[in-house]
Amino acid sequence: MTGGYTGKILRIDLTSKSVSTIDTEKYEEFGGGYGMGTAIFWDLAVAPGEYDMKDPYDPRNVLPIMVGPFAGTGVPAGARTSVCGMSPETYPTCEFWRGNLGGRFGNMLKHAGWDGVVVEGMADKPVWINIINDQVKIEDAKELWGRDTWETQNRITSMVGGQTRYGEEWHEIDSTYTTNRPEVLCIGPIGETKSRMAALITGSGVSARIGGHAAVFGAKNLKAISVIGTGKVQVSNPGGIIDARLHQMKTFTGGAISYTSGPGAASCMPCLRGDRRRKNYYGGETMCACMGWLGKYNSSDADRAAEALIKYGLSSWSAHFHADMFSLEIPGAPALFRGKVPTDSGLGWYLQYLKQEGLLGPGKAIDSYPLPMDQWGELSFRQALLDAIANRTGIGDALAEGCCRAAEKWGRLETDKNSGALRLTAWGATTHWTMPWVEWAYAYILGAGDPAWHGFMAPVGKPSEGTLEQSLEKLSKCTIPYTNDIFMFNYAWKGEEAWKTGIYSPHKAKQVAWSRHYSSFWNESMAFCEMFLPELGSHTPEMEIMYYKAVTGKNDSFADTMRTGQKIWTLERAIRVMHGRSRQVEDFFPYMYKPGASGMALYGGVPIYENGTWRNDNCRDMHLDRKGVNDFKDHYYALEGWDKEHGWPKKKTMEELGLKRMVKPLKDAGKLGNA
Amino acid sequence: MAGSKKNEEIKKPVSRRDFLKSGSIAVAAGALGTYASVPASAAPSSETASYESSKGYIVHDSRLCLGCQSCMYACSLAHEGAASLSLSRIQIIRDAPSFTKYPYDIVMSICRQCVTPLCVQNCPVNACHVDTENGNVRVIDGDKCIGCGTCIESCPQRPHRTVWNPDKNISMKCDLCLDTPYWDEKGGPDGKQACVSGCPVNALKLVHEPPPQRDIAGYDVDMAPPPPPPRDFSSFLKQESDDNQKEGE
Repeated sequence: MTGGYTGKILRIDLTSKSVSTIDTEKYEEFGGGYGMGTAIFWDLAVAPGEYDMKDPYDPRNVLPIMVGPFAGTGVPAGARTSVCGMSPETYPTCEFWRGNLGGRFGNMLKHAGWDGVVVEGMADKPVWINIINDQVKIEDAKELWGRDTWETQNRITSMVGGQTRYGEEWHEIDSTYTTNRPEVLCIGPIGETKSRMAALITGSGVSARIGGHAAVFGAKNLKAISVIGTGKVQVSNPGGIIDARLHQMKTFTGGAISYTSGPGAASCMPCLRGDRRRKNYYGGETMCACMGWLGKYNSSDADRAAEALIKYGLSSWSAHFHADMFSLEIPGAPALFRGKVPTDSGLGWYLQYLKQEGLLGPGKAIDSYPLPMDQWGELSFRQALLDAIANRTGIGDALAEGCCRAAEKWGRLETDKNSGALRLTAWGATTHWTMPWVEWAYAYILGAGDPAWHGFMAPVGKPSEGTLEQSLEKLSKCTIPYTNDIFMFNYAWKGEEAWKTGIYSPHKAKQVAWSRHYSSFWNESMAFCEMFLPELGSHTPEMEIMYYKAVTGKNDSFADTMRTGQKIWTLERAIRVMHGRSRQVEDFFPYMYKPGASGMALYGGVPIYENGTWRNDNCRDMHLDRKGVNDFKDHYYALEGWDKEHGWPKKKTMEELGLKRMVKPLKDAGKLGNA
Repeated sequence: MAGSKKNEEIKKPVSRRDFLKSGSIAVAAGALGTYASVPASAAPSSETASYESSKGYIVHDSRLCLGCQSCMYACSLAHEGAASLSLSRIQIIRDAPSFTKYPYDIVMSICRQCVTPLCVQNCPVNACHVDTENGNVRVIDGDKCIGCGTCIESCPQRPHRTVWNPDKNISMKCDLCLDTPYWDEKGGPDGKQACVSGCPVNALKLVHEPPPQRDIAGYDVDMAPPPPPPRDFSSFLKQESDDNQKEGE
């Protein structure tokens, strides 16, 4: 194998408690991380044809937890760990979906000698997986079950590390040594009780929240995976990695996201306010959504609320209370959105709506027991909410199922979908930006929820120098293989131009495809933090290839890697098709077609080309047109090689992408795209 | 291992207790490991020697450090040609002992190029020595090292700064990047260090004067400028919102 891989993947069947290995080489064509995970899921869960993929808690649901070749090599922000499988989070159906997490778990997995861990089956009682280099044990988790994520990690550290005083001593493992604690990926009480909003946690606050796969851990009776390793990862050009880092640090322009430290960190520490958090309070790994979960920033209560969230193991994004961030009057918007439009909206937004409408409270239509409604907005309310969800007490039992399923239980689903109270872009997933960056919105329906990919937000904004057209022309040079088409970045959303060169045009299809292919390879599989790369207009694609060659030694061009990204994205599509995906079900929630769908545009607004000129516009009143979205699908499916009628990949597409072995199962299921 | 090498200049090690008695340094000691034994013929040496001071010292700022371990990867890549946390001569330890609060959540463990280096003084074969031709950096000659572990046991720092290489059965220590077979940069007191260069937050720095030797304070320094004040996410977004509204009006 080339540099960056350890050569083997750990496979664990919790039902039979058997441990085996998979050769990484078999999946090297998929890059690593999510790409490999998707292919493994196909082989173990889809191809045998025994699992109908309806129930995410079925023991046959397979969870590949994978890292890419950059993990454990010192490539900055390249150690993200991917988790995929059938998702409990999505609504109305269980969809194939993925999340990922930063921190040091991925690095340590590589140092223990593994490119990933594939978990299958279901243990008959709570267990945790103990990986010490090549020694793997399935341990009894009776002592850990019910404990929060920090307690769990500390106890496992004590069990694995014995009497080692971390920070003062080296820990010996079979005549090798480390000063590191084990890295532990675990669930909290909310994952144990299978809340569909449960997040996997490692460290003080690193989480994989998209997909709710922590609930699958809970269903499998898997409390944690601990790993400690003392091995090394071979790379093709060691000095090349250092030089690439230094080159990027030297030429870094500041970027839109990294306010503080810039490029270079090997783990995900420099994300957003990472180091500020370390100084204010322990929890340097806590993400912005955790900080904002209370709805207040930079306060000790916000810190404690974030800590409680992480300890319980709830997805901050699904639950958070970012509700009043933007005061925008939008003509024609539903009454619900008048005066305030949230950028992001999940459980918190929905609860607030129900409260304001007088529907939620003690003894009301939706009984709020055991929530202390008189403490709304306070830390104590958040803690009570976490506890209710974790224990499924009172209203907590409905809320643990996520907004849509709770609304369904209360008989409010259709009403609240149509009013926008359930302001969830698609698949029941929390709205997170989406509009006016329509490539983000489209990715919601084409995938299975939040793509969480910011790549084009800043680059299409108002340029600091030169004209907008010049800026877009420069940007269009980076988007290999779809180059030199600046209409890809036209966000014209109404009138003839929207269909001709705007958001319903074939040009927009190319931008969406680029974002999905790039994300599939570079962010999900290699796996760079998406806030680190791409740096469109500056470092991309130069930096990606510099790191790639230094680690793997491969001479692939950037276009080659994008092709692999398309391959991964198409395989992901094939899995979805096998469990029911078709054109008809790929749709937005109703509010996306009404004024008020858009939050607001950062970075000076998105580019609009109308009447022969370009301008930036914040598009406050942007919303989608049903026919336009339908027309967009025509263009997009054609570009991807999926059939127009169903959105199913065609045989020719599959074969050209090297997915020939997936053709027969699709054909046998009657779901191969019409030529 | 030890038995395979001939030892001609075996010295009796100065113990940490002897060293601490001498008042040269005031830190707790700590070491571990099972290494090759020192031959019984070790020649006695009862006094601490004096050494030319190193012309380079790496100091750090544990308040700036993110704990990303980039420096550890840079070190092992440059010296060993592979990415390894265990083979890094600088160790950054997070969560020590467990979920402790800032600034105690990170321990930066960096060789101090001690003014009186016990690793050098106690090395029975002079593998660990002062490199007088290269700025008096305290280094280990891997070809001479017999893997006895004396330098590791002698190190007065906790955790010990000399690092065991299980692949080669020898000890290693920070050489200020004098010898980096896999990184084409001039190292040493007048050159670059992979860890210092690679730190994304400038939490490491090479200085040329010996820092104060009592406790850790001389090495854990405040590297101004202080970080910018925290940016309030909500007000940041509000500002952008206001800007957009103005533009729209």
